[in-house]
Amino acid sequence: MSPAAAIRLEGVGHSYGEVEALTGLDLTVAVGERVALLGPSGAGKSTLLRLLNGSLRATAGRVVVLDEEPARLAPRDLRRLQRRIGLIHQQLDLVEQVRVVHNVNAGRLGHWNVLQAVASLVWPREREAARAALEQVGLGWALYERTERLSGGEQQRVAIARLLLQAPDLVLADEPVASLDPARSGEVLDLLHTEAADHTLVVSLHQPDLARRHCTRALGLRDGRLVFDVPSADLTEHRLADLYELT
Amino acid sequence: MNAPGLGPELMERGHAPASDGAHATAGPSAGDLAGGASARHRTRAREVAARRLLGLALVLVPIGWAAWRALAEGGALVNVGGAKLLGPLLSQALAPRLDPGFLAVVLDAAATTVVFAALGTAGALVVGAVGGLVLSDVVWSAHQPAWFRLVRLAVRGLLVSIRAIHEIVWALLFVSVLGLDPLVAVLAIALPFGAQTAQVFGESLDNAPRRSLLALRAAGARPASAVVYGLLPSARGVLTSYSFYRFECAIRSAVILGVVGVGGLGQELVVSLQSRNWDEVWTLIGAVLVLSAIVDGWSSVVRRDLAVGSCSDWSAGNLRADRHRSRHVAGWSFLLALPLLVAAWVASGVSLSGLTSERTRRLSASLAADLWPPALPLGGMPELTGAVLDTVAMAVLAMAVAVVVTALVGPLAMRPSVSSRTGTSAPVRRSARRFARWTGWLGARTLLLVLRSIPPTVWAVVALFALFPGILPGAIALGLYTGGILGRLVAEAWESLDRRPLEALVAAGVPGSLAGLVALGPSSAHHLITYTLYRFEICVRDTAVVGVVGAAGLGRLLSEQLSAFRFPVVTTLLLASLAVSLASEVVGRRLRNGLRA
Repeated sequence: MSPAAAIRLEGVGHSYGEVEALTGLDLTVAVGERVALLGPSGAGKSTLLRLLNGSLRATAGRVVVLDEEPARLAPRDLRRLQRRIGLIHQQLDLVEQVRVVHNVNAGRLGHWNVLQAVASLVWPREREAARAALEQVGLGWALYERTERLSGGEQQRVAIARLLLQAPDLVLADEPVASLDPARSGEVLDLLHTEAADHTLVVSLHQPDLARRHCTRALGLRDGRLVFDVPSADLTEHRLADLYELT
Repeated sequence: MNAPGLGPELMERGHAPASDGAHATAGPSAGDLAGGASARHRTRAREVAARRLLGLALVLVPIGWAAWRALAEGGALVNVGGAKLLGPLLSQALAPRLDPGFLAVVLDAAATTVVFAALGTAGALVVGAVGGLVLSDVVWSAHQPAWFRLVRLAVRGLLVSIRAIHEIVWALLFVSVLGLDPLVAVLAIALPFGAQTAQVFGESLDNAPRRSLLALRAAGARPASAVVYGLLPSARGVLTSYSFYRFECAIRSAVILGVVGVGGLGQELVVSLQSRNWDEVWTLIGAVLVLSAIVDGWSSVVRRDLAVGSCSDWSAGNLRADRHRSRHVAGWSFLLALPLLVAAWVASGVSLSGLTSERTRRLSASLAADLWPPALPLGGMPELTGAVLDTVAMAVLAMAVAVVVTALVGPLAMRPSVSSRTGTSAPVRRSARRFARWTGWLGARTLLLVLRSIPPTVWAVVALFALFPGILPGAIALGLYTGGILGRLVAEAWESLDRRPLEALVAAGVPGSLAGLVALGPSSAHHLITYTLYRFEICVRDTAVVGVVGAAGLGRLLSEQLSAFRFPVVTTLLLASLAVSLASEVVGRRLRNGLRA
């Protein structure tokens, strides 16, 4: 296996009981690639991202992420792997009731022991790093704001600041811009791709032009199968029409 | 109707428009369809009527049986000599004893009661926090070893049995080991309240939004850190709110526990009642009322501040994790509660040393040895089943009394709605009516406060002056007390009813009272029934309280056997109370779920 592969899937399938979400997926993603994941709702995009993160185990085939096999790791080692994988969701997963600094610091949570974590809720640790991360996303002023008071776009940027602090080798983003307007979507993807330039990025999207602009490679997923795998420049209207066609 | 299969299906569910549709459809099949529909409607109507009758029977048969059991015991019911005591008792109401010496005693007793409640709540919160974490499903990842599942199951069972036994029974048991140590009251509150709190905490954690928890776990955080960061902040409001509600309950409970003899307002009350110092009784009742009003008020301000859960929500197990508004009062209350707790601890001289002393160890060992194997009371099985039936009958009658109280006082106890109806009457008459309405509200709320603040032990002692011991005095005492609680719960639930249907009807020209009956009647009846069933479960447990002062049922038998040191019989009675209270819980939950369906 070449060490430059960030992700390697061999005949991967996953089924929820009777329902097959993914079938026979073979895929290699090199380190530094930016991959867009396209496909209609229910195509298996989220399932694939969860398999890559190790929160879900494939029911068939082999998943190798950052040279580890999540399915074979003991819980402690799985957590160590997961610390190297940044995850960002459409629903942000921020804790709304606490101040922003704690949400940013959550990116470091994997590196702290429980006592440090509890103490940090009372007296935040590593405030300078958190502030620096927030400043990178243009929210330096928001360190001590209550998270629920920020707007949707601002919360999205808090989630990215958390990611920056986590400094992962692989970023998985599940429809990160689904609830944002076009201008803000571009801004968020810019952040993901400039700040994560040396990382591998896999992002599921519904907007082909964003994929063309921000990614190097595009995967089309439909009914749990890979329909196309092309450089994002080759993302033609024809392919897209095929991908999203209603049956 | 283009899909014939759809019609009957919709009609099964009693949708009127579906049958209209069937009538309106032209074509040969329409007539058949309509004919089948009306037949089905008739069956459906018969089913509904049968359900109503069954429901009515479910209410009337138990009440009839309980009344028959209470009255057919033979012998006189009314104790004429004792009833004469009620006159002097009432006549002293306006002349409470207010000399400085006695007031100092009252203040001291009130402080003791607060200490019991505060320390008991603190203990309950510790038990609840630990137990809640164990019970909560979301805290533990999906992969648990089999032995750990077993441990969790055992903890769950243990907590259920702990809270199925009333705190007064716990107090009696602790007294026989610890003697009249203040620790008895604290433990007797902390254990059953802690078990209850554990359940609520566990459910609150499971109901809190869990996305952030899952995200933190997916990012490789340690399980405990992920819970602290991702779950506690969103559950915090609910947990704080419930803690204050528990303190409110603990005050009432601390008063009741006084009867065991460990001190506080409850003990003074029973002593004064039994020595017939009526003027002292009234002073003490005043103190209990003031204390309850202060704590109720404080707790409800905190809970409103947190915007989570009214009393009625908690009691019926509705958990709502609303967004917080402000947390000022809650924050200040915490700052206030901690020193209060420390001061309470210091002042009370409650020490845990009683738990580990040589004497305690010896007594608890011998108690454990005496409790097993269980034995039947002297009267054998008939006495045991008699006591069980007495308990159930007492709870049924008490609930009947409570429902009557609620039906009479509840409507008045609803906070008059702010959105005044646009009446045609003159402004003066309207303001006069509003004044009357608010006065009525104040009176009704005060009456309910009085009913639920005076401990059921006191109601029972008074009832036992006028009536010979038996089911009836216990039921009346418990009914008045429960009525005070039920009335408040139901009134609060009624306040939060959706008024838009009513406003729509009034806007359509329907007279106000009729509109109220049609629009709010069904849902308010539903609330009343749900809370009644819920309180019935608690009432079954509460029968122990009036039993201890001598009414009837398992509680009375239990306290008799305890004072006679017949511990094997005590075990049997504990098991019987456990069975009765679990059975009532199961039946109550079934009925409530049946209503919801």
